[in-house]
Amino acid sequence: MVSRPDRDGDQQVRLLDDAWDQAAEHWRDGMAREFDAGHLAPLLRESRGYLDALRALMDTLEAAERETEG
Amino acid sequence: MSSVHADIDALTGLREALVRYRHAQREVAGRGEEEIRLVRASLEAKASRWRAQLAQCQAELAACQERAAQAAADGPAADGPAAGDGQADCSGYARAAEQAGERLEQVRRWQQRIDAEASEFQGTAGRFADLLENDLPRTEEHLLAIVRSLEAARRVQAPGA
Repeated sequence: MVSRPDRDGDQQVRLLDDAWDQAAEHWRDGMAREFDAGHLAPLLRESRGYLDALRALMDTLEAAERETEG
Repeated sequence: MSSVHADIDALTGLREALVRYRHAQREVAGRGEEEIRLVRASLEAKASRWRAQLAQCQAELAACQERAAQAAADGPAADGPAAGDGQADCSGYARAAEQAGERLEQVRRWQQRIDAEASEFQGTAGRFADLLENDLPRTEEHLLAIVRSLEAARRVQAPGA
């Protein structure tokens, strides 16, 4: 069964979060904090917003297919 | 790799993760668009099928009613669809036409809902696409610049340089 794109997108967010956690273990200076606040956090926030919207739309698409079967 | 360069290794790994993220999320977005297209096409096919079914049911109902009217005009001995009380019985055709009409209307409502929700979604999707195509590559370049500056500061030869 093919997985839904929104779920795969969520998995990618988790992978990037993990990659940041690993990087943050060795990169803790002011530049790291600036990168987190100015680049990574907005990226993850925007990604999660998109994936929430995609999830809602995928739910609607699935419901549409299910309700109009037959 | 020496632990002295652990931060460089970590940043290089993070940059590679960002590149993978950009490609993977671009594919996710593409699959999302494809899902919308497929379900729209599926609903249009269903609407087309129910429109044809409705037209056929309505034609059969009209033919039944015409036969019934003819039978009534010809008198009680004539052949034709008749209920026990002598009234024409086209109710089966009427019911089938009604059901086809309801199914068609149901599909149309879903089509309208999906059009509305997909239209609303396009704004969010457009911002995300812009982020993947423009912002994220800049972030990757920014990280690369940091890595290079760290390497230069420590006189470390950059991988592949």
